[in-house]
Amino acid sequence: MATIAVPLGGGQSRQEIEAVRRPALSEYLRWSVDHKIIGVQYGVTSLLFFIIGGALAMGIRLELWTPELDFMVSGAAYNSLFTMHGTIMIFLFIIPMWAAYGNFVVPLQLGAKDMAFPWLNAFAFWLIPPAGVVMLLGYFVSPAEAGWTSYPPLSTLFSGDGQTLWALGAHLLGLSSILGSINFIVTILNMRPPEMTIWRMPLLCWAVLATSIIAVMATPFLAGALTLLLLDRMTGTTFFDASGGGDVLLWQNIFWFYSHPAVYIMVLPGMGVLSEVLSIHSRKPVFGYRMVGLSSMAIAIVGFTVWAHHMFTSLQPELRIPFMITTMIIAVPTGIKMFSWLGTIWGGKIRFTSAMLFALGFMSMFVIGGITGVMLAALPFDIHVHDTYFVVSHFHFVLFGGSVFAIYAALYHWFPKITGRMMDETLGRIHFVFTYLGFLITFFPMHIVGMLGMPRRVAVYDPAFTDFNRLISLAAFVLGFSTFIVLYNIARSYFHGPIAGANPWRALTLEWATTSPPPPTNFHDDPIPYEDPYGYGTKAATAYIEAIDMAFDRREAAPSGAD
Amino acid sequence: MAEMTATQLSAPAHDDHGHMSAEEHNENMKLGMWLYLASEIVIFSMMIVGYVLFRINEPDVVELAHSKLGVGLVTANTFVLLASSFFMVMGLRAMQQGNRQGMLRWIGATALGGAVFLAGQYIEYSELAHLGITLGYDIESQWQTFGMRFYAPTFFHGAHVFVGVLWALEVMRRGAKGRYDQNPIGIEMFGLYWHFVDVVWIMLFTLIYLV
Repeated sequence: MATIAVPLGGGQSRQEIEAVRRPALSEYLRWSVDHKIIGVQYGVTSLLFFIIGGALAMGIRLELWTPELDFMVSGAAYNSLFTMHGTIMIFLFIIPMWAAYGNFVVPLQLGAKDMAFPWLNAFAFWLIPPAGVVMLLGYFVSPAEAGWTSYPPLSTLFSGDGQTLWALGAHLLGLSSILGSINFIVTILNMRPPEMTIWRMPLLCWAVLATSIIAVMATPFLAGALTLLLLDRMTGTTFFDASGGGDVLLWQNIFWFYSHPAVYIMVLPGMGVLSEVLSIHSRKPVFGYRMVGLSSMAIAIVGFTVWAHHMFTSLQPELRIPFMITTMIIAVPTGIKMFSWLGTIWGGKIRFTSAMLFALGFMSMFVIGGITGVMLAALPFDIHVHDTYFVVSHFHFVLFGGSVFAIYAALYHWFPKITGRMMDETLGRIHFVFTYLGFLITFFPMHIVGMLGMPRRVAVYDPAFTDFNRLISLAAFVLGFSTFIVLYNIARSYFHGPIAGANPWRALTLEWATTSPPPPTNFHDDPIPYEDPYGYGTKAATAYIEAIDMAFDRREAAPSGAD
Repeated sequence: MAEMTATQLSAPAHDDHGHMSAEEHNENMKLGMWLYLASEIVIFSMMIVGYVLFRINEPDVVELAHSKLGVGLVTANTFVLLASSFFMVMGLRAMQQGNRQGMLRWIGATALGGAVFLAGQYIEYSELAHLGITLGYDIESQWQTFGMRFYAPTFFHGAHVFVGVLWALEVMRRGAKGRYDQNPIGIEMFGLYWHFVDVVWIMLFTLIYLV
């Protein structure tokens, strides 16, 4: 008979709860300062760019069907193909997609009414569509073709005006990312209700906090580097031109000082999602909650000390061993998370929902990507496979097998909260099977062709690799097709999915202690967080979850005293 | 069901339901501004390091520039910018004491200081251009890459002063309408930015003109 604090005051009435409607679709097309609207705007925009980036990937695989140049008109056209694929997927899909979930979920999980700076939040979002358009406009002049890493002199002396547009677009996206991250940090540190102490914070909030700290401290390096690149391209300076007193390696150093931490910007929120999803769908507390929160911070800090492992072939030789060591050290906090996830599901009552399947998919794929990451950190091995398909395979295992699987897990997990409707679980499982197998068969053989010596970023390759490439291309088309399953599922479920109710997964974090979708002020009354965000399996937790059900979904059946 | 009735169903009353208090709002603004300034420091430090490395590698070129240029104009300019930071403080103080007119005068003086600084920078750039110090690289020129390494940080700083002047005018426009009578946080935000721009200039002045 312990007294249990439940998430709601007595203020909300049946009428108030029933009056909560989904925002009209037109609201998503307008300027809005509501973090939930902005979250969906981020999400849909990122999804559109995901489709564009995916179509470009299909183009790459089509070209590589044969060892000759046939699908594309020239090598330069192929260069722009993988350049735009990489840029769009990183800057316009994964990074803004995490801003989508961060925006929608973080204030709700904290029990806040909105983000700290609602206007700034909207502004940061509305920088993205124009930035994307500026980048794509490159196709009407001469698209960027220096890869997403944009190394000079490729990006200064040998690239057309599209490269300038690329840099302008990336600049805008960087600004958006900085402003959005400032907003997240202030929100997470200052906007928590008094009961939501830092050690009661859900792990997604911890991950978004760590991510935002990285973004605020690292993205300005990209901004500075892009400023110098634009000056070199447009005003005749020679910052990156060795023949004019500049330094080519300067770009590589600054770029990777941003872009390696950016790898963690892309995957840390996914790790936060994983802790949420695995715990809720296996009904067990997160194993080592504090260490998981702190390991996010450790990754954020150590992530700043490893950048030059991208430059093993261009770096001063005596610096290579120190960077090899720091790179291997970062596997430790990552390993803490991996073992926490295993410990979390171990002995749990696992429900194989679509969200859970994708979370388990993340675990299996990310561990491969993590191991190849340590392999690549080992200097002798790295020099052997440098610039081969082994590298392509490695970063797709962490960015697709990691980030994208987590994005899908988060989609199936929070779609009911966002729209008020459940997604179709059967379609979800079919989607998972196609994605999982398509992904594995696309990217695993790349390890092998990489070690056999097939270089990346080439349209014409040794005919000995043809069979491998055909297998990879076939699987890639299956993977591309699998995206349509989830798109269909989203559209169908939005209109015809079963009503979700407030808390379909019977979760303890605060975003589930309000209606689905939440009202404009997020909560009908000031919410009280449960003492442990992942304290599943106790009587008190069950009572807390039942109180939520009673308050929102079965209120009429509730005993009169429950008010 | 017995458990349900024992459940504590009411939240402790919060003071201001649904809205942030002015204090919370101010705290958020300040933290946000400091984070923004931290990201600015990163960009400036990249350009400053670019200059410092050049200074170390090519001392002759920098000494030549010093001998041709002198520090008279830039010292006066630095003084004007420092004074404008003082005016800024006085403006905030005036508003905190409820003196709206005083605030408008002091912030106006701040904006004027910024504008004078920009005019001085323009004169200096013209003189430098006269000496043949340009942004682009010319293999014939004795200045090597001094131009781009000098112009990049100073122009980037000048652009920040320009934004600051516009911001000061906006503060005056809002202040005249009584926007800051209750809560002068908006002036304080501008103040943080303006002091930051000032501190950056002191670093640039020391590194580029004095050493």
